[in-house]
Amino acid sequence: MSQNWIQHTLRRRRWRPQNQAAALATLGVIIALIIGVLYLSQVSSNATTGRQLADLIAERNELQSMNEQLRAEIAELRSVPRLLARARELGFVPAGQDQIEYLVIEGYNPHRDETVAPLQDEEPQLPVYDESFGGWLQQQLDNLRAQFEGFSNAGE
Amino acid sequence: MQRQAANNTTSPQQEMLRQRLPVVIVVLLIISTILILRLFTFQWLPPEVARDFQLRRDANYQRTIRVTSERGIIYDRNGEPLAVNTFQYGIGASPNLISNPRDVATQLAALLNRSELEIYHQLTSEASWVSIARPVSAEVGQEVARLQQTVRGITREPIPRRFYPQGTLAAHILGFVAGDPQDYRGYNGVEGYYQQQLAGRVRNQDVSTIPFDLPQDIPESDRGSDLVLTLDRDIQFLIETELQLAITQTGATGGTIIVMDPRNGDILAMASYPSFDPNTYFEVTDETVFRNPAISEVYEPGSVMKVVTVASALELGVITPDWTYNDQGFIDIGGIRIENAERRAYGVVDTAQVLVNSLNVGAATIAQEMGWEDFYRMLARFGFGQPTRVDLQGEEAGILKTPYDDDWSESDLGTNSFGQGISVTPLQMITAFAAIANDGLMMQPRVVYQIVDGSDVYTTQPTALTRVVSKRTADIVTEMMVRTVNESLENAQLPGYAVAGKTGTAEISSPLGYERDASIASFIGFLPADAPQVVVLVKLDRPTGYWGSVVAAPVFRRIAERLVILMEIPPDDVRLAIQSQGGVVEEVNR
Repeated sequence: MSQNWIQHTLRRRRWRPQNQAAALATLGVIIALIIGVLYLSQVSSNATTGRQLADLIAERNELQSMNEQLRAEIAELRSVPRLLARARELGFVPAGQDQIEYLVIEGYNPHRDETVAPLQDEEPQLPVYDESFGGWLQQQLDNLRAQFEGFSNAGE
Repeated sequence: MQRQAANNTTSPQQEMLRQRLPVVIVVLLIISTILILRLFTFQWLPPEVARDFQLRRDANYQRTIRVTSERGIIYDRNGEPLAVNTFQYGIGASPNLISNPRDVATQLAALLNRSELEIYHQLTSEASWVSIARPVSAEVGQEVARLQQTVRGITREPIPRRFYPQGTLAAHILGFVAGDPQDYRGYNGVEGYYQQQLAGRVRNQDVSTIPFDLPQDIPESDRGSDLVLTLDRDIQFLIETELQLAITQTGATGGTIIVMDPRNGDILAMASYPSFDPNTYFEVTDETVFRNPAISEVYEPGSVMKVVTVASALELGVITPDWTYNDQGFIDIGGIRIENAERRAYGVVDTAQVLVNSLNVGAATIAQEMGWEDFYRMLARFGFGQPTRVDLQGEEAGILKTPYDDDWSESDLGTNSFGQGISVTPLQMITAFAAIANDGLMMQPRVVYQIVDGSDVYTTQPTALTRVVSKRTADIVTEMMVRTVNESLENAQLPGYAVAGKTGTAEISSPLGYERDASIASFIGFLPADAPQVVVLVKLDRPTGYWGSVVAAPVFRRIAERLVILMEIPPDDVRLAIQSQGGVVEEVNR
C-alpha cells in the first residue's frame, strides 16, 4: 500500500512543474489583461476629461470675451455726453450754485469709507468618493458611458 | 541493423552544417553585441546631437503657440472705465469640411455684408483654409458663433482690441495702443508710461498634440495690471467742453486747461486742444497732435511768473509786504528798457500793487534787488528748468537760462522776473502755484493713484518734493493774489468764494523776435483761498482777445462755477459755519 502511494506521488511529481508553469503563465496573462484594461480605462478617462476641460476652457474664454464686450458697451452707454443727453431728455438741468443748499448733520462724514456687508460663504459641493469595488465598477461604467456619449456627440 | 548503420553515418551536407554553424553563430553574436553596444552609446550622446533628437521628437508631439494675455484696464478715480479691451474677429473656413457651400455662402454673405459669389468661390477652393473677413465687429462675431453651432468648417479667431469708451475724453492723458495684436504697445500718456505694468505677459507655450494629454490653461498672473487714475471723468469732461467753447469764442489756435489738487498733487483733469480720438489714432495725419502740450510744449508764461518772483523775494527777506518803490514806468536792465504793459508810470507802489497792477517794472526791480544768484536759485526751487517727473510719457524740462549759460545776458534777469525769456510747461507752472496754495509745500504731480495686480493693490502715496516757501510767505502771497482778483479781475471772481489768481499775457517769441498782435493768454487761480482744494490753469494760444484778463479769466470762472458743485465745495461762509460746528468739508481722501 505504502509502495503504491510513493509510486503515485512520484508519477504526479513528474507532471507538477508543467502544471505550475501553465498556471503561472495563465495568471500572468490574466494580470496583464487586468492591467491593460485598467490602463486603457484610465487613458480613455483622461482623454475624455481632457476634452471636457478643453471645452470648458473654450467656453470660459468665450464668456470672458463676451463679458469684456459687455463691459465696453456699458462704459460707452455711461459716457458723459450720453448721460448728459439722456438727463436733458428727462427734463433735468445742471444745478446752479443758488439751487444748492448745504446742510450740517452732526456726526455725519460725507467722505467716510464705504462699508460692504461680507458675502456669506456657500457650502462647497464636494464630489462623493466611493472606495468600494462596486463604486469603482460604477465609476468605470460611468466613464465608459461618458466616452460613448462624447464620441456620439462629436459625430453629430 | 541496416537502419542503425545508416543513422551512425552523417551526410557531407550535415557535416558541413555542423562545421559552419558555430561560425554563423559567432558572427551573429558579434553583430548583436555591436548593435547592443551602439544602443548603449545613445544614452551618452553629445549635447548638440541629443538636442537635435529632442527637437525631432517634440516636433512630432507638440507645437509652439504664442499666447497673449489681457491688457490692464484704466479707470478714473471713481471707477469709471477709460480704457477697456474688446474683441474683433477674423472669420475663416476650411472648404473641405463644408458640405453645403452654397447655403453657407448665402448665410455668411448676409452676416458679413459681402458678395455671396466671392464667398462661394472661396468655400469651393482647393485650399485647406481660407480667410473670409478680417476684422469684423464683436456683434458679427457673435452671429458667426451662432452659425458655427449648425455649420461645420467655419473658424472664428478673436483679435484683441483696445477700446476707449469715452471717445476723445482725456486722450492726451491716456495715450493709445498700437501695433500687431500679438504685440500691442502703448504710446504716450499712461499707456506709454505704464506699458510694462499694463501689458499682459506674452509667452510661447508648447501645446501637446497628443489627445490624451490634458490641455494647459493660461495663468491668471499673466494678465496686465489695472490702473486707477487720479483723474475725475466729470471734471475732465467739464474742462474739455469749456476749452472747446473758449477756442470757438476766442479763435485761439490751441489751448490747455489743467485742474490739480494742491494738497496731494493729484491731477484731476488735463485737457489740450487740438486733440484726437485714441480709437482712431491711425486716421491722424499730423502726428504732433499725439504730444500732450500740457507737459511737452513750452511757452513763455508772462505775468503769472510775477507771483513766483514776489514769493521768492518775500521768502528770502529781500522785500516785505510793506516794501515800496517809485514806479516811473520803465527800468533799464542789461542794456534794454523794460516798461509796464500799459506804458505808464504808477508812482510809489507797494509789493501787492506789483501783482494787482501786474507791473513789469516792479517785478524787474524786485529781481534786481534779489540779485541773479538768489533769483535763479529760487526759480530752480520752484521746479523750473527741470521736469516735474509726472507719470506721463513725453515730459519736457522747459528752458531756464542762468548766468552759467553762454547765451544768458543781464537783461534776462529783468525779463525773466515777469515771465519773458523763460520757457515752462503748463504743468510746471501750475505745480509752482499749487505749492503756494499748499502752504509752500510742493507736491509731486501724479496721474496714477493705484496699480491693481490681481489681488495686490499698490497705492501711490502723495510725495512732497520740497518746501519752496514758508507757510507765512505762502499766506502773504495768497492774500496778494486774492486782492489781485478782487481789485482788478472781475472776470475771475466767483460769488461766495475767495479766489486767488493771476493772469499772464505773454508775447510769442519767434526766430525774428516777438510776434506782433499775438499772445499766449493765461490765468492760474485757486480756491477757496484760505484752504485751497483746487488749482486751475487756463492757457489759450493766440486768442483774438489778446489779454489773459479778457479771454482766460472768464474761462476760469465758468470752470470754477461748476467745480465747486462737482467737488462739493460750499461757499466760504457756509464752509466756515460747518467747520465751526465740527463738520468736515475739506478732508483729503488721497
